[in-house]
Amino acid sequence: MSTFFTAAHYDGQKAVKRAVEVEVMGPQFYVVENAWRSGPFAFADVAYVTKQGDADVYGLAGHDGWRLILSGPIPADLSAMLPAPRKYGGWVDRLGLGKAAIAFALTSAAAVAVVLFSPQWLAPLIPDSVDDSLGDALVGDFGGRFCHTPAGDAALQKLVASLDDAPQDLRVEVANIDMLNAVALPGGNVILFDGLLKQARSPDEVAGVLAHEIGHVRERHVMQALLRQMGLAVVLGGVDGNSGALVNNMLAMSYSRDAEAEADAYAMQALGSANISPVGTASFFDRLSQLDGSAGVVKDNAGITGYLSSHPLSASRKDAFEKSIVKGKNYKPALTPTEWTELKTMCAQDREAKSGLGFDFN
Amino acid sequence: MLAAKDMGESMNDEQLQPHSAFRFHGSWQEFARIAFPNLLLTIVTLGIYRFWATTREREYLWGKTEFIDERLEWTGRGMELFIGFIMVFVLIGLPFIVIQLVSQGLIFQGVPVLAGLLTFAMFLSLFYLTGVAYFRALRYRLSRTYWRGIRGGSDDPGFQYGLSYNWKWIVGWLPIFLMVPWAMISLWNDRWNAMSFGPHRFSATAQWTPLMKRYLLFYLVPFLIFVGAVIFGISMAASGGAPAAMGGAGMAIGGILAIVAVLIFYIMLPLAALAFYSKYFRLAVGGLRLHTLEFAFRARSVDWVLFFLANMAIIICTLGIGYIFMPYRNWKFFVEHMEAYGEINIDELTQSQTVVEKHGEGLLDAFDVGAI
Ligand SMILES: [Zn+2]
Repeated sequence: MSTFFTAAHYDGQKAVKRAVEVEVMGPQFYVVENAWRSGPFAFADVAYVTKQGDADVYGLAGHDGWRLILSGPIPADLSAMLPAPRKYGGWVDRLGLGKAAIAFALTSAAAVAVVLFSPQWLAPLIPDSVDDSLGDALVGDFGGRFCHTPAGDAALQKLVASLDDAPQDLRVEVANIDMLNAVALPGGNVILFDGLLKQARSPDEVAGVLAHEIGHVRERHVMQALLRQMGLAVVLGGVDGNSGALVNNMLAMSYSRDAEAEADAYAMQALGSANISPVGTASFFDRLSQLDGSAGVVKDNAGITGYLSSHPLSASRKDAFEKSIVKGKNYKPALTPTEWTELKTMCAQDREAKSGLGFDFN
Repeated sequence: MLAAKDMGESMNDEQLQPHSAFRFHGSWQEFARIAFPNLLLTIVTLGIYRFWATTREREYLWGKTEFIDERLEWTGRGMELFIGFIMVFVLIGLPFIVIQLVSQGLIFQGVPVLAGLLTFAMFLSLFYLTGVAYFRALRYRLSRTYWRGIRGGSDDPGFQYGLSYNWKWIVGWLPIFLMVPWAMISLWNDRWNAMSFGPHRFSATAQWTPLMKRYLLFYLVPFLIFVGAVIFGISMAASGGAPAAMGGAGMAIGGILAIVAVLIFYIMLPLAALAFYSKYFRLAVGGLRLHTLEFAFRARSVDWVLFFLANMAIIICTLGIGYIFMPYRNWKFFVEHMEAYGEINIDELTQSQTVVEKHGEGLLDAFDVGAI
């Protein structure tokens, strides 16, 4: 037996509108207009297209432009065979708007949390070879800006060896750039800027800063910061579709407060086992924070902002280094006066090192 | 046979003004019921829902648009747009991040020339892809627009158009930007000449020369203001002497004049730009034909100005939330000013045989130039 319903119909072949009757025969149906009859079609192939006014519009899989337009309330017999109307799309329709919004919000929060916290666990999983080649690609010979003299190199090597047990996987260099800064980059690269050496009043001060940067390398902060930045760019890239800022931020990246504290703790321990007094580092931070206090001085000392922006100073940081002084301990200077002079004047002596910032670096 | 122009007349006899073949039946209250949930879902999904949000808005706007005697239908899916976005991210976004990293590395390694070349090549290919993106977005939109069960589309993948886009814009810019109107009109024609609806190919034959007067107006506004300011300054100096002689009052007048000049600059320039764009769109649509149908866009410069002022007022008065109504306002403005003339033979209007790709306008979306 068959049942009839009236509907409007386009066959998708021509733009001719037909007033048809839907002739239902079990799981199949025909569309009939007077002597014209089309079908049979399977209800399983019918898809919901859209709502137009009070009419529901259905399409048919595999038939481009085929439409069945049912106006008003659809009889129960027929609506049982037809797919449910779609409003928001899959998941939202199934859950309802409120529940779906809560579910999405929780998922998003989880995604952001994963991106923020997973670098800590992921960073150690990145093979050293990747880390190294990234470091090589980024640093290279720094555009010929690294300073070298035999005596200066020896002094630097001594300093590194006293602060680290495996100095062979570190690459510490002095760059001929008059900027008070030091950075840790991928692949165990640590760069001390000449401006920092000039400002330092003793090798102990340089040892403290160097130990801090080595701390960033050893605690895997560099790769963590990189992963975090890339992850955030991907997750938040969904918001504005722009992930181009990533690379620009990479070099100006700063570490979290926790990472800074970790690097400081590492530095204090390294200084302790090298028998170098933390007094120098404390007084260095003290001088920096005084410079920080007066804007005029900062302007005169172009580049001091470099270190301050990546290593925000606080009184507590200075205090921590002061507290790590062990009374009565027999500290030795980090370098002999001759070695210190050689290191400090290395860039002045090396005529071949290019100077300045021939590129955008901040 | 359906007549585009007089169809409305015969259906609504009491109406004095014969309405356009295009009519819009939407209301902003209805649209709000789509736009606000969309905003909520877009926020809680960190933006991923925006593809489905766009689709829902288009479904509504198309469904409320009547052409002659039948509503349009948008059949695009959010998933298509999402897939398009992912494809662009993987095929273009990631390689570009890598290239940027490499060129950054090259600068550090001391080979800035190579880095510069790499960056230049990157921008050139982005420029090319932008052209392809414009083409494919139009093709996608036509292939998802149905009227009486018939859709549009194009078999052209748009790669050739990408090249035209590059050289025509370069020619447009080279003679101190004087050929920009030519580039715009010529590219519009190229784009639409490759499109079809049902069995019929669009034909776009807009002329660019009538656009030059408006363009020169826009082009010259900054110069005219500058020249005006200089002449005014000289005449002031000649008649009233140096500002020093006039004292504080002279300085105050000078300051006010400077403010007036800046205001004129910020008001005149957008006005001139709107006047130009209004003429451009009128010419471009006016040159469009589909078989026996001709099109026209009736909005004059005044309409555009009022439209933009209203948009700004809405956004400002709602503290920015009104921004979600802009797709509605844009579409309404577009439909209400569209006209079509001529006749369509319904028996002749058969289904389009063009290919339909399964991914949306991700490329255009990635370049952030999608309008509606
Ligand atoms: Zn640090």
